[in-house]
Amino acid sequence: MRKNDSIAGNFDWILFGIYILLIVFGISTIYSVTYNPEHPSIFSFSEMYGRQIFFVGVSLFLGLLVFLIDSDIYRKFSIPIYLFTLSLLIIVLFTEPINGAHSWLGLGAFGIQPGEFAKIGTAILLANYMSSFNVKQQNGQTVIVSLAIIAIPMLLIMFQPDAGTFVVFTAFFFVMYREGLTFDPIVLRIVNAIPGVRFKSTWLGTHFIPILFVVVFLLVITLIISHKPILLDAYPGEEFSGYWRMFLALFVTSILGYLIMRSIFAKRDARRALVIVILFFSTSTVITSAVHFGFESLPAHQKTRIELWLGIYEPEEGTGKVEDGADYNRSRAMTAVGSGGFAGKGYREANVATTKTEHVPECETDFIFSPWAEERGFVGSIFLVVLYTFLLLRVITIAERQRSKYNRVYAYSVAMILFYHFAINIGMNIGLVPIIGIPLPLFSYGGSSMMAFSVMIFLLLKLDSQRKDVLN
Amino acid sequence: MNFDTRKYVIISFFVITGLMYGIKLFYMQVVDTETWKLEAQRIAERRIEVTPPRAVVFDRNGNKVIENKTYYNLMMIEEEMVDFDTVAFGKLIGMTKDEVLARIEEIKEGEGRYFNPHTKEYQTNYQRIRPYPFLKELTADEIARIAPQLDNFKGFYEEVTSMRNYPYKSGANILGYLAEVTQPEIDKDPFYKPAYKIGRAGIERFYEKEFRGKKGVKYIVTSARQNTVGSFEDGKYDTTAVQSKGIVLGLDIDLQAYGEKLMQNKKGCIVAIEPATGEILTMVSAPTYDPNLLVGRKNINEHYPKLVEDENKPLFPRPLASEYMPGSTFKPIQALIGMQEGVVQANTGFPCNKSVVGCHNHPHPGSVTQAVQYSCNPYFYALTRRIIQQGKHKSSFKDSEVGIDIWAEYMHSFGLGRKLETDITGLRAGNIPDSKYYDHWRGKGQWKFSAIQSISIGQGEVQLTPLQMANVAAIMANRGWFYTPHFVKSIDGGGPRKEYTVKNRTMVDEKHFPPVVEGMRRCVHEPGGTASRARIPGIVTCGKTGTVENFKLVNGRLIKKPNHSVFIAFAPMDNPKIAIAVFVENTGGGGGTWAAPIASLVIEKYLNGEVKSVEKEKRILDAKLSLWE
Repeated sequence: MRKNDSIAGNFDWILFGIYILLIVFGISTIYSVTYNPEHPSIFSFSEMYGRQIFFVGVSLFLGLLVFLIDSDIYRKFSIPIYLFTLSLLIIVLFTEPINGAHSWLGLGAFGIQPGEFAKIGTAILLANYMSSFNVKQQNGQTVIVSLAIIAIPMLLIMFQPDAGTFVVFTAFFFVMYREGLTFDPIVLRIVNAIPGVRFKSTWLGTHFIPILFVVVFLLVITLIISHKPILLDAYPGEEFSGYWRMFLALFVTSILGYLIMRSIFAKRDARRALVIVILFFSTSTVITSAVHFGFESLPAHQKTRIELWLGIYEPEEGTGKVEDGADYNRSRAMTAVGSGGFAGKGYREANVATTKTEHVPECETDFIFSPWAEERGFVGSIFLVVLYTFLLLRVITIAERQRSKYNRVYAYSVAMILFYHFAINIGMNIGLVPIIGIPLPLFSYGGSSMMAFSVMIFLLLKLDSQRKDVLN
Repeated sequence: MNFDTRKYVIISFFVITGLMYGIKLFYMQVVDTETWKLEAQRIAERRIEVTPPRAVVFDRNGNKVIENKTYYNLMMIEEEMVDFDTVAFGKLIGMTKDEVLARIEEIKEGEGRYFNPHTKEYQTNYQRIRPYPFLKELTADEIARIAPQLDNFKGFYEEVTSMRNYPYKSGANILGYLAEVTQPEIDKDPFYKPAYKIGRAGIERFYEKEFRGKKGVKYIVTSARQNTVGSFEDGKYDTTAVQSKGIVLGLDIDLQAYGEKLMQNKKGCIVAIEPATGEILTMVSAPTYDPNLLVGRKNINEHYPKLVEDENKPLFPRPLASEYMPGSTFKPIQALIGMQEGVVQANTGFPCNKSVVGCHNHPHPGSVTQAVQYSCNPYFYALTRRIIQQGKHKSSFKDSEVGIDIWAEYMHSFGLGRKLETDITGLRAGNIPDSKYYDHWRGKGQWKFSAIQSISIGQGEVQLTPLQMANVAAIMANRGWFYTPHFVKSIDGGGPRKEYTVKNRTMVDEKHFPPVVEGMRRCVHEPGGTASRARIPGIVTCGKTGTVENFKLVNGRLIKKPNHSVFIAFAPMDNPKIAIAVFVENTGGGGGTWAAPIASLVIEKYLNGEVKSVEKEKRILDAKLSLWE
C-alpha cells in the first residue's frame, strides 16, 4: 500500500495523457491553419504555432508550481484567490476595448483574459463554501450564497461584455445540483399554494437545473435544426416541415442512449433506463414540437430577431448578400466540416478553414474544430469527440473517488466547465449551437485559455494525488 | 442524504452530447458530404480557363502573314473605386462625366451576361469585386498616356490583351477577320465566353478550331476576398493551354500583294495555283481592302458598315463566289471531251462556217490544235454538237438528253458545276447545265442541241468561278489531274488536311492533252495568236483567252455591257510551276487585251522573282477599268 501513498503512485496518468494529446493535436492544427512559408519552423515565435508552444511551456511551468504547493493552501486561501480574480475582472473594465469588449488585460507583449482565470477562483471558493461543516444543501441561504459566489463574476463579465464566458459560468449550477442543491422548496411553495394540493417533493424542483438545461438546449437546437423546411428529391415542389428532422434526431438519440445505458447500468437498473428514455423521448418531443410550431406562428419581425440571435437568419434572395448575413460564420464552418468527408482532405490541405483563404473567420481559435474536421474527416472528428467525452468521464471518475467534498466540488466544476466549452464550441462548428465565441479547451490558440485550463487540470491532479491524505 | 445517483444525470449529459455530435458529424461528413463539397468548391475554388493566343500564320516562304499584336484593356473593379472623381477621370480618357457614368451603368447591365441552363434565362452575374473592361483595345500609345495617372483612380488598372495584325495589308478576302462571338455561339460551344473573338470569314473562319488552339484549365484556391491563394492540390487537375504551332499557307504573300497592285482600279480576280500540289499561290479579289481595317471592335464598328455599303463590294470574295461565263477559255475542255468520247480525233477538221455562229477571220482549222489556236466558234459548235447528239437515239431530243448528261459528267470531273472542297467558306458551285436543268427551264422533250448551243463556246447557261477556271488551268498543266485547290499546306508542322492529298483524275485520258496544250501554246507564241500579250521572254506559256459577252438586266430588258476579259494559262509548258486564271470585268476589250498581260506579269513575277516587262506593267497599273459599273 506504500505505493498508493506516494504522489507518483496516485498521479492520474490517464488524465495527464489526454491533456498532452489534446495539446499536441491543437498545436499541429494551429500549425496547419496559420502556416506561413516565410517562417516554416514550428517554433517560430513570430507565428501563432511558435507562440502556442511558448504558451504551453508557460502552462506546464504554472502546472508544476501548482503541483508543488500543498493542496491545503488553495483551500485556506480560497477567498483571497477569488477576490484576486474578481479584482482582475474589475480592472479589465477600465482598459481600452478590443473588438468592442473589455476582455484583455495587457501584461507586457501578451494580454491575459481575466475571465478565464475567474472560473478557477470561483470553482475554489464554491468548493470551499459547499464543503464547510455548517452548510446544508437544502437550506435556502446556501442556495443564495452559492448563487452569489457565481453571480458576482458573471455580472462583471456581463459588463465586458463576454457572452461566451458568461454562459460558461452557468456550468456551476450543475455542480450545485450534484451536491444536492434543490429548488424544491421554492417549487413546492408555488405548487402547494394551489388549494387541495399537498406535495412533499416534486421531480421538477429536485432536478430543476438539468431540466432547465435540457429545455433550453432543446429549445435552441429545435429552432436551429427545424429552421429549414425539408425538400425531398422524390417529391419535387413539396416542402415538409423541418421539425421532422428534430423528431428523427430525438428518436435515434433515445434508442442509442437506451442501448448504451443498458450496457453501462447494472442489470437491475435496466428497467429504469427504459423509463428514463421513454420519459426523455416523450417530454422532449412535446417540448420541441411546441417550441417549433410556436416559433412558426410568431409574427415575422419577431422571428427575424430570434433568427439573428441564433445565427440562422438568411436574408431573402435579392435583398442582400449571404455574406452579409449572420449565417456567414456558421455556414462557412459547416462547409469546412462537411467537405472534409470521411477521410478528410489531408493534413495542411484545408482550403476553406485556413487563414490562407479566411473563409472561416477565427479558424485558429473559436472555429479550430472546422480545420481539424476538414483535414481529418469524419475519422478525425469522431476521434476528437470521443476523446473529449472520455476526458469528461475521466474527470467525473476522479471526482467521484474523492474523499473530501471540497475536492469533489472542485472536480465537478472542472468537468462542467470543460463540458460547456466542448459542447458549445464543437456544437457551433457543426451548426447545432448558436455562435458563442469560446475556445475549444487545450486545443484552440490562445495563452489565457491554455494557462487557465492547465492550472485547472493540474490543480485537479494535485488534489487527486493527495486524496488519501484527506480525512473526511 | 445521498445524492450520488445524480452523477448519472451528468454522465448521461456527457454521453448524449457526444452521441448527438457523433451522429450529426456522421450525417455531415459521410451522408451529406457531397452537398458540402460542392459548397466548398463554390466558395473556395475557382476554375480558370486559359485561352492560348491564336495561331500565327506564315506564307509559303516563311513570311508572317497574320500575327498577334499586344493591346491593352482598361479594367475596372467597382469594389475598389473610392473617391472616384468622374470629371477628372473623364478628362483623362476623353469622356464627359455623363459618358463615364453611362459606361459604368452599361457594364453593370451588360457584362457577365450568361445563359443559365437551369433557369433557361439570361442572367447577369455582375459582381462589384470582379474586374470588367471599362475601355477595350487601347494601343500602346493610348495606354501610355493614361497609365501613369491611374494611381489617382483606385479600382482601375491596365490589362494586356492581344489582337490580330496583318503586316502585309494584303489577302483580306483569303485571311478573313475576327469578330466578337454572338450569344448563340457561346451557348453552342463552351469554348467561347463573352468578348471572345471568333473567325468570321476566310481561313480564320474555316480553320477556327485549329487557329484557336486548346484551352488550358487551372484550378485555384481563392480566399474570402477573391484573391488567388495558390493552385488547387498542387495543380493535380490542371491542364496547360496549347497554342497552335503555326499554320503555313501555300500563299505567296509578295505575289498576292503584286497581284492586288495590278488589279488596282479594276474589278475582277486573279487566282494562281501550283499545279503539282493544288496550293493556291495567289487569290486576288479586286477591289479589296486592308485586313487591318477589321481588327478590334472599334475598327469593325467604324469600317465594317462602310465596306458593306461600298458599291464595289470589297467584302465579296469574287474568286470564290462570283459565277461568270467562261467564254472561250472553256473551249480546251470541249476539245478534250470530244477526243475522249471519240467523236473527234486530234486531226479532225471542221470548216469555219460563220453562218452557224459568228467568228473572226482565220484559216479553217484542220485539227483540234488549230481549233484551240484560232478559238474557232463554228468548230466548237460542231464538236460539241457531236458530243451532245451522238446519234444513239432516233429522237434528237432524247439524244440530246442523254448526251448532255454525259457531257455534264465530264465537266464535273474537272471540278466544274460543283463546289470545290477548298478550305474557305463562301464557295459557289458555278453552273454546268444537265438534262434536269433544261427540263426544268424548257420542259421535258422540248429542247435539243440547237436550243442550247451557246454552251459550246462557254456562254449561255455555263457559269464558272474564277477559282474553278484556275483549277482548269492546273488540270491542263498536269495533263489530266488535280489536287483540290487549298490554302493551308501545313497545320502544326504536319501536312495539309487529308482531302488535299488525294489526286482527282478527270475522265479524260492523258494522251488527249498534248494537242490541246499545243493549241494553248500557239495562242501565246504563234504570230496572230489571241494571247500574244502574255508572252514572257524565256518562258513557254500556254494560255487561252476569253471574251465574255456581258448582258445586264435593266428594267426587264437585257442591255449589252462592255465585255469581260478572261485568260487562263500555265507556265512553263513542261514541268509547270504556276497555273492561273485572270478575270477582269467590263473592260470592253478581249481576253488578250487585259487579262492576258496581267496573267503574264504575275507568272513572270512568280517564276523570275522580278518583272522586266516594265512597259507592260505600267500599262496595267495605269489602267482604270470600269469601276463605275
